[in-house]
Parts: sequence; C-alpha cells; structure tokens
Amino acid sequence: MSGQETFEFQAALTELEPGLDLIHRTLDGLRAATGRPADDQRLILFEIALAEIGGNVLTHGRPAGSQRAVDFELRYRDGTVEALFADGGPPAFEHLEREMPGHENEDGRGLALSRSVLDSLGYERDGELNRWHLVMRL
Amino acid sequence: MLEVQTRQADSGATVIVPTGRLDVAGAPALKEAISEVARDGAPKIVIDMEGVSFVDSTGLGSVIAALKQVRSREGELRLAAPNQQVRVVLELTTLDRVFPYYSTVEEALTGF
Repeated sequence: MSGQETFEFQAALTELEPGLDLIHRTLDGLRAATGRPADDQRLILFEIALAEIGGNVLTHGRPAGSQRAVDFELRYRDGTVEALFADGGPPAFEHLEREMPGHENEDGRGLALSRSVLDSLGYERDGELNRWHLVMRL
Repeated sequence: MLEVQTRQADSGATVIVPTGRLDVAGAPALKEAISEVARDGAPKIVIDMEGVSFVDSTGLGSVIAALKQVRSREGELRLAAPNQQVRVVLELTTLDRVFPYYSTVEEALTGF
C-alpha cells in the first residue's frame, strides 16, 4: 500500500445532511490519501462509527436556538485514525453504556454499534460541551 | 438525499428502490414510501438495496419499522443486493437473522 502517512481535516458542521455529506467525503479523502480501496474493511468499520456519532451530535448537539456549530476533526498518523467532535448538546452520560437492543427495537443501536467496532470511544463533558473521541488502528 | 422509487414486479410484489445513503437523514423517505405501499392488503415488498451506498442504525430502524408494518398485515418483506457495508452493519447488529438477504432482486422475487 502506498500513500500519505498523515492526513488532517477540520470543519464546523451546522446542518444534518450537509454535515453527514462532509463526514463521508472526508472519509473518501482519507481513503484516497492513504491509497486504501473502497472495500477496506477497517475503514468501512470506522466510517460506520463516524457516521453514527456524527449523526447523533448533528441531531442532538445543536439545541433549538443554539448558533453553535459542531466541531469535527479527522486525523490520521502512524496507522491510526482519530476523529473528534465537540457539540453543545445536553450531557450524554446516560446513553454511553447502552447495550445493543433487541431485534424489534427501531432505534438505540448507534453507540453500541460504535463501541463494538472502534478501538476506543472517549466521551467527556467539558463545561457546556460534549467531546467525543473515536480511535481505530487501521 | 435518499431518493425512493417503486415499481410493480410481474408477480404482483412491489419493488422499492432507494438510492443514496439510508441514514438518519434519509430514513424518513424510505419509511414514507413503505407506508404507502403497505397500506392495503397483505403486501409483498422487496427493497432493492443495490443503490444504497451506506446504511446507519437509523436507516436500519426504518427497515425494522417497515418489517413490523408489513407483518402486521400478514405480508412479507425481503432485502436484495445489499453492498458490503450494508451486510457488515446487518451482521454487527445481528439483524441478518431477521433480514436474510438475497443477492439480486430476481432471486428475492423467486417464489414470492
């Protein structure tokens, strides 16, 4: 495999669908920069977690009336990819340990799915912000 | 944006064809399309996933909602032609046990 050894991207996300578009395009950029094919299994798994957390913070991290954007960063270095989100939504502690729900449930899988594929999923409450840290060794 | 089209197969089954990302932003469009098809009788529905580039847990939730709606009317729903990413999500969530998928729409329509 040949390609760049590092990759960095930062953006402020303000709307759900354009925000998700940008998240997926950024992953495509990482694939191209690192010379990984579209069916690279590790990047498919990372993209699943990235889209779950990204969808959550874009849905719940911008309370009504809030003008604050969701900060998004993606970094790749030494074979490890990391993503960071910072959002102004309510604290998310109560959702962190949610288990994968049964087959009949229509929602509640996002965090369990993300935990199952990432090497680590970090969360901290920093003042009025939620900070999410996704890490995977590719 | 997820675009959704529907067509009737010769067997009378309805083939629903979403194109784009079936995610938290796109799921409502699929839900709406399935609700319209599943309104009457015992619906037989194939969702042709070939044009779905990516699915997230909310998108899967819309398919579960569709399955419940179809089964409540004693109908049946089948998934066809999911790509690698969709198959991975189905397996990680063990929903592949609920949605056995078919390689092609033609295969899904066989005996339907």
